[in-house]
Amino acid sequence: MAELTTTKLNAESHLLLDQPLLRMPYELSRRNQKNAQRYVENGTKDLLASLSTTTKSASKSSAPDATLASLDSMISKMQGLKRKLGGLHEEEMRIHKSNRARLQHLQDLYEVQSLVDVKYDEWSRVRLSRLLVDYLLREGYSESAAHLAASQGIEELVDVEAFVSCHKIERGLREERSTSHALNWCKENSKELKKQNNMLEFELRLQQYIELVRQGHEQGIRDVDMEDGLDGSNGISLTGGGSIGGGEQKLVEARAHAKKYLSTSGDFELMGRAAGLLAFKPWDNVEPYTSLYSQSRWNHLAHLFLTTHHTLYSLPPRPLLHIALSAGLSALKTPSCHSAFTASSGNASSSTTSVCPICSTELNELARNVPYAHHSKSLVENDPVVLPNGRIYGRERLKGFNDGLGTERGYVRDPVEGLGGRKWKEGEVRKVFIM
Amino acid sequence: MAPPPNGMHELLEQLETLEKTANLSASINDVQNAIDLLTAARAKIANDPQTAPITLAKLQGPLRSTLEAAQKDIKPVYSGLNKYGRALDKKFKDKPLPPTSNDALSSHPQLINRAIAMHLLREGEFDVASTFIREASQHPPQPEPTPNTPHPYNNLSWEKNMADGTFNSETLQKQFHEMYHILHELRQERNLGPAIEWARERSDVLEARGSNLEFELCRLQFVCLFVGHGVDADDDDLMEEVPLGPMQAWEYARREFGGFQRRYAREVQQLMGAMAYWQNVVGSPYRRYFYNDAAWEEVATSFTREFCSLLGLSADSPLYIAATAGAIALPHLLKLQSIMEKTRTEWTTQNELPVEIPLPPAYHFHSIFVCPVSKEQSTDANPPMMMPCGHVIAQESLDRLSKGIRFKCPYCPGESHPRDAVKVFL
Repeated sequence: MAELTTTKLNAESHLLLDQPLLRMPYELSRRNQKNAQRYVENGTKDLLASLSTTTKSASKSSAPDATLASLDSMISKMQGLKRKLGGLHEEEMRIHKSNRARLQHLQDLYEVQSLVDVKYDEWSRVRLSRLLVDYLLREGYSESAAHLAASQGIEELVDVEAFVSCHKIERGLREERSTSHALNWCKENSKELKKQNNMLEFELRLQQYIELVRQGHEQGIRDVDMEDGLDGSNGISLTGGGSIGGGEQKLVEARAHAKKYLSTSGDFELMGRAAGLLAFKPWDNVEPYTSLYSQSRWNHLAHLFLTTHHTLYSLPPRPLLHIALSAGLSALKTPSCHSAFTASSGNASSSTTSVCPICSTELNELARNVPYAHHSKSLVENDPVVLPNGRIYGRERLKGFNDGLGTERGYVRDPVEGLGGRKWKEGEVRKVFIM
Repeated sequence: MAPPPNGMHELLEQLETLEKTANLSASINDVQNAIDLLTAARAKIANDPQTAPITLAKLQGPLRSTLEAAQKDIKPVYSGLNKYGRALDKKFKDKPLPPTSNDALSSHPQLINRAIAMHLLREGEFDVASTFIREASQHPPQPEPTPNTPHPYNNLSWEKNMADGTFNSETLQKQFHEMYHILHELRQERNLGPAIEWARERSDVLEARGSNLEFELCRLQFVCLFVGHGVDADDDDLMEEVPLGPMQAWEYARREFGGFQRRYAREVQQLMGAMAYWQNVVGSPYRRYFYNDAAWEEVATSFTREFCSLLGLSADSPLYIAATAGAIALPHLLKLQSIMEKTRTEWTTQNELPVEIPLPPAYHFHSIFVCPVSKEQSTDANPPMMMPCGHVIAQESLDRLSKGIRFKCPYCPGESHPRDAVKVFL
């Protein structure tokens, strides 16, 4: 009975880790559809406008060549539209195909009734490979991820491409200190970002402003005088530019940039700080300007981009592998796993037990800080006996070990101590009661 | 009875609509129609320039409606996706993403990477492993602080591990290469040679562990020779009066079984007894030793176990077992989480999960001792103690019950002094 409750598989509640598997293709399909809609709407507007101009001019003058040329251009525009839609259609069908494979993979779990079924084992191995690929992609190990996906034949179940382009943008911010990829991405997703009131684009524009000001100050060490700096700090105005140094030019540019992109935010406190940058130079070491000038803002931007990206695609902020492992390490961990004493069970010292996965090298350190599993009842082998050294074994296993070892008749040895250890007369083995 | 869960069927149906009808192909046709209209008009005008104004004027209406159709035909895609999205929301409404607040792993990315590298190696994914080891050492991960580890331990880098030998991927790769080679020979080639050689080199260690592996391998070799596969037994031999198989097996036994006499006298005797029935082993009581299809898989499994154990590793990938156990545990942890949110309580036990996770028996590796008095699990600080009567309680319970003087066992009439209790190990 107890066996049944611990081995029954309820697929419906088992799919906690698998939502992102289906979210990603769904989000990609929606994006694809929106792009198609935009192309068609713009194409229509454009074509109807061209047609009415052409009609008008054709009725005025009778230059057939011009009319034909306009028609040719309209035809080629339509062909362009068709090509674009064709590309999106291909993409759409590719996403559906991968989505079908994913749904089928999850459906497979519903066909399995028991956690000890070999089919569950196979399914769970595929899931682990998926989680590993997800982890590798998030950590930026794209080549390993693609390699593993191909080797396991699970390309349809993972999102290598989406993550690769995500990382390109992230690296652009973190390593190349360039906002261009990220701004492009914001443009592509502007509607959704607006809906979420997302600050990413604003932060990127602010960074552009900071960089312009930095360049201005660096170039203009000599030719920017204090007056201009003070003038700038009174507010963002385009009238402050008096001198004509290259540095000053940059500061003018910075102010224009701020007016165009930053002034609409309504965050006056921040505006004030941004304006203050015009007065304080990167090397002045005055807060809050030093933090704004700090290079660590690029890491902040990279992080913000990742969070925004993952939210938009309904991806969890942390790798799913972390979630699965944190829970699994705790569920498996026992106080014996990090004990100073060798446990009588689950150790590597005799062939009568399987090595505990938490005690195995791979996970032992990792599991050190997680809580151990809760048990309300003792779990011991049948017919436990105790050796004079205090070690407790199931009678059957102790006998099996000593048979394998070829211990002399009438004696027993301790599986942990092995052949080199002590041996006792069988009569010294006592029964022990574990309630 | 509740209706059977419909699994992914609803989503699969919605997807089928998207694949079959609600896609962009209709709009593409509309655009092609617009191209056709434009091309026809162009041909007409080229043919007779005078008709240009009227042709163009006549083109307006049809072109507009064709393009409007192109826009309208995207609507089913939109609504199809919306429907799919709603079905998706419904399916996962009660399956939220698990919270990541208890993530104790972000502070140890190197350890995770090492575990992954070892997993790939032990699964025989050698190429992927070497790609990964290269990428990971080029871009070592950045540990992130977590509540329990605010200052991540950063000096446990791969480079250091490589240097001090705690993680030497090349050695490990060589070892697993050997393991897969031997397993391949066993399973695919039915060749016991490499496995026997491996076991023989480690005879002492295996014997000290009480392992039967070497004998089991040799016994299977004997059986193979006897029934005639495993060696290049020609068909002609089978026709002979005295078959070569039993002869060779006899030779093999005389040559190899000497060392097994002490530990496996009985088993060797059985094999020798079977020789008497060489003409009809199938009908003899020894049949089960000779025709056991599972024997190859059994020795392969026991070989894998011994091989990994000698490396101090578990036989199945710990990463696999832990991730699977995690997936089994998550629904329980989620339930706990929602109860705690409702009752606004928090874990009172830092070191122990507050809820029992029912894992299948195969996921229990250590014996567990829960003190029957205090209901607490034993730890190094509070170990299990056996009283002279043979009952076991935790040290703290013993101290509390006895107060240092003679006391009665809570489970039997036996009386004893606490100093007579001995520490036991499960």
